[in-house]
Amino acid sequence: MDAERFDALVATHHGEIYRYLLRATSRRTEADDLAQDTFLRAYRAHRTLPPDANARAWLFTIASNVAKNHFRAESRRRQAHAAVRQTRSETDGTGPEGETLFNETRAALDTVVADLPLKQRLAFTLRKVHDLDYDTIARSLDCSPDSARAHVFQALRKIRRSLNGSELPLGRDER
Amino acid sequence: MTSKPSVCQAIEEALLATAIGDADSATAARVETHTRACAPCLEDFGRYRAIDRAVGVWREAPAPAEESARAHLASRLADLRRRTLVYRIFPSPLGPILIARSEEGVSCVEYLTGGSDFAHSRLSRLEGVEALPDGAEVEVFYRELLEYVEGRRTRLEWPLDLRLARSPFHRAVLQATAAVPYGVVTSYGGIAAEVGAPRAVRAVAQALRHNPVPIVVPCHRIIGTTGDLTGYAGNRLGLKERLLAIEGVRTERGAHAPHVARQTLYHYDRNDQRQYCLPTCGSIARRPIGRVTLLASRETAARLDLVPCSDCRPDLHPISH
Repeated sequence: MDAERFDALVATHHGEIYRYLLRATSRRTEADDLAQDTFLRAYRAHRTLPPDANARAWLFTIASNVAKNHFRAESRRRQAHAAVRQTRSETDGTGPEGETLFNETRAALDTVVADLPLKQRLAFTLRKVHDLDYDTIARSLDCSPDSARAHVFQALRKIRRSLNGSELPLGRDER
Repeated sequence: MTSKPSVCQAIEEALLATAIGDADSATAARVETHTRACAPCLEDFGRYRAIDRAVGVWREAPAPAEESARAHLASRLADLRRRTLVYRIFPSPLGPILIARSEEGVSCVEYLTGGSDFAHSRLSRLEGVEALPDGAEVEVFYRELLEYVEGRRTRLEWPLDLRLARSPFHRAVLQATAAVPYGVVTSYGGIAAEVGAPRAVRAVAQALRHNPVPIVVPCHRIIGTTGDLTGYAGNRLGLKERLLAIEGVRTERGAHAPHVARQTLYHYDRNDQRQYCLPTCGSIARRPIGRVTLLASRETAARLDLVPCSDCRPDLHPISH
């Protein structure tokens, strides 16, 4: 049994999987639990993973499945929306004056993303936070690359509509 | 809300892709041409870029409680790893055999009697064990086991994990038994003396009855003081005879239980000269097994660095079978 190989997998990827699940659930305790579930499942299955497989993509797939199972009950999703506000107040209240606007923007974004339908939220996070390509996202979410892309774009449109009128600084200088 | 002009609707997806860096250069150029002339789309573009940048911050932002999440995982993972055994079930001349190992070593060898699927194994009923069927890693042990059964291998030097032993005493018995070499037979009493509990003969027999790793911990080499085979794998004395036969130890079935044929085996009673004897040497054949060790052949004696007795000269008068 290649115990060292699995240790390395945990050391390299636990952080980003946890962050992904935190984005998916908006609750630390749930992200904590789901990250544990992800890696315990991975441990049970890692012997069947070919040596040349993309372990990172594989872990994101497991984490996505764990998250989807978790949210199968719609009521839990509603809890998550409420929780994002709680998480935000725990983490963002202490910034210096100059960062307030930016923090508010981030906070607004947190809330909007937490409100997205699960597949859009996961696809958007995988693409924009974790930089996975659409083929990998498609495998993680068990859909086609085209619909993975559609989920990301749909998420962006919703974020854009939801943030309309908020103080998100425009990127005019960014052309 | 008024709807966008159709030209803006047509380019909306390209605009979005360009804003988040997903577009190829031709698409980006098309979007640039359009937004130069279309103020609402330019503003849209700016907003999407802003969202993209704001999300970018999430990548660097440390996640709250990441360290404690990591610690929680480490603790549960350590527990799972301790409890996990990977196994595979193999066909063999001795019937279906299950071999399982942990990260530390082989922890279970089981003859399956009721059928060749996992549900028939004792391992499936062990509490607290997480058994996974994908045991490609036990394949190597199976190959060595086959070689042993076919008489082509005399050593099984496997890493062992004896945590399935029921007590530290059982573990000590298993360790002492593991040290009994190929083609050598001793008794429960001999093992009891070996582990420093010479009176605990029945407890030794009990420990070997629950040997989680038969063959590799060769409990078939341990018999009664008088030479009776006494017990093996439940009630499978035939299997014990067969394993002993593989190693060249002859047995016979008299009116009672099967027992080793002492007259066909060389004898070793511990002595400073390390001399081994013929069974006809003095009173050696009447001494209890355990104090006397039985050897299948002169080759067995040679592997143990024993020398022929200078009185009975087993080198000049080998036992003829």
